[in-house]
Amino acid sequence: MTAYAAALAAVALYIAGALRLRRRGDAWSPWRALSFGVGACGAAVAVAAPLPGGAFTAHMVQHLILGMYAPLLLVLGRPITLALRALPPGRVRRGLLGTARSRAAAFLVFPPVAAALDVGGLWILYRTPLFAATHERPWAHALVHLHVLLAGVLFTVAVCQVEPLRHRYSIALRGATLVLAGAAHAVLAKSLWVTPPPGFSAPDPHTGAEVMYYGGDVAEIALAVVLALRWYAAGGRALRRPARSSGGRPHSRTGRARTPLPTKLER
Amino acid sequence: MASEESALSPGRSIWAGVLIGVGVAAFLDETVFHQLLHWHHFYDRSTPAVGLVSDGLFHAFGWFATVIGLIMVADLVRRSGLSGRALAGGVLLGAGAFQLYDGTIQHKILRLHQIRYHVEIAPYDWSWNVIAVILLLVGAWVLRREGRRR
Repeated sequence: MTAYAAALAAVALYIAGALRLRRRGDAWSPWRALSFGVGACGAAVAVAAPLPGGAFTAHMVQHLILGMYAPLLLVLGRPITLALRALPPGRVRRGLLGTARSRAAAFLVFPPVAAALDVGGLWILYRTPLFAATHERPWAHALVHLHVLLAGVLFTVAVCQVEPLRHRYSIALRGATLVLAGAAHAVLAKSLWVTPPPGFSAPDPHTGAEVMYYGGDVAEIALAVVLALRWYAAGGRALRRPARSSGGRPHSRTGRARTPLPTKLER
Repeated sequence: MASEESALSPGRSIWAGVLIGVGVAAFLDETVFHQLLHWHHFYDRSTPAVGLVSDGLFHAFGWFATVIGLIMVADLVRRSGLSGRALAGGVLLGAGAFQLYDGTIQHKILRLHQIRYHVEIAPYDWSWNVIAVILLLVGAWVLRREGRRR
C-alpha cells in the first residue's frame, strides 16, 4: 500500500506542477506526463501486485519493471526539469537546483559510476548471501527494492542525460557504458541460469534467468533509441543554426532560406 | 559542397553499414538458431567464463550497433550524403565479420555453444564459416568497386 500511496503522491505533485505551467501559458508535453504516470504506476504495481510465474520468475519480472522500465519512463517525464520550472523562486527551488548541480550528483551520474551502482548492485544481490537474507527480513527486502529503483533512475539519467546536470558526458562514453552494462547484465542472467540461488525448483530458475536476459535487451534497446534520437535531434539543431562562423550557405534540405545573403550575391 | 560530401560520406556510410551488419547477423543468430530452430542452446554447460563474457558483450553490442547504425543512416540521408553501395558493402563486411568471429572464436575456441547437437558437427562448422568468408569477400568487392567509381 505504501508503494501505491507514494506513486499517487508523486503523480499528484507532477500534475500540479504541469497545471501551474499550463495556467501561466507555458507548454508542457502531455507525453511527458503520460510517461511519468505510467512509470509511477508500473513501479507501484511491480512492488505491490502479485505477478505471474514461479517465485523466481515473478521476482525477475518485478526487477525488470522496477529497475529498468519504470526508471526509463519516470526519467523521460523529466520531473526535475518540471519542478525547476514550476517552483517559485525560493529556498525549495534553490535547494533542488543546488542538489541537481552538485558535485555529489555529478559523481553519481558519471556513467561508469551509475552503471556500477546499478548492475554491480545486482551482482552483489544475486551472487552473495544477500538474496537469501532479503527473504528473511522485510526491511532488507524493501531497501533492496528502493536501491534497484534509485540505481535504475541514476543509470537512465546517466545514459539519456535529459535532466539539468552539472556535466554533459560524451555520447561515446555513454554508449560504451550502456553496452558494457548490458553485457554485465546478460552475463549475470546466464550465470543465474547455470547456478540459480538455492531454494527454487526447476524450471522456474531457468525461466527467470531467460526473462532477465531478454527483458534486459528490451531495456537496452529502448535506452539506445533514446540516446540515438537525442543525438539525431542535436544534429538537426546544429544544421538549422545559421553557419555564420564558417561562412557556409544554408543547407539545401532545411528549406529555410536566409534571404539577405543570396540577394547581395546576385547584385 | 560536393567535395565536402564525398570526403565525408563514404566512410560514414561504410561504418553505418558495418554496425547494421553486425547487429543483423547477431539478431538472425538469436532468432533463427536459438528461438526458431532451437539448434543453439542458451547455455550448454561446457562454456568457460570468458565465453559467457564474449557472448554477453556481443549480445549487448549487437542491439546497440543496430540502433546507432540506423540513426546514422537517417543522419546521412538528412545531409544528402548517403552512399547506398558503401552502406551495402559495410553491411556485408559487418555481417561476415560477426559470423566468422561467432563461428571460429566463439563456437570453437571459447566453446560458447555448438551450431547443433547430436550430429556430425564438421559440415555445419564449414558451412557457417565459408558463408562468413563469402560475405566478407563480396563486401570487400562492393567497396572496392565503389572506391574505383569515385
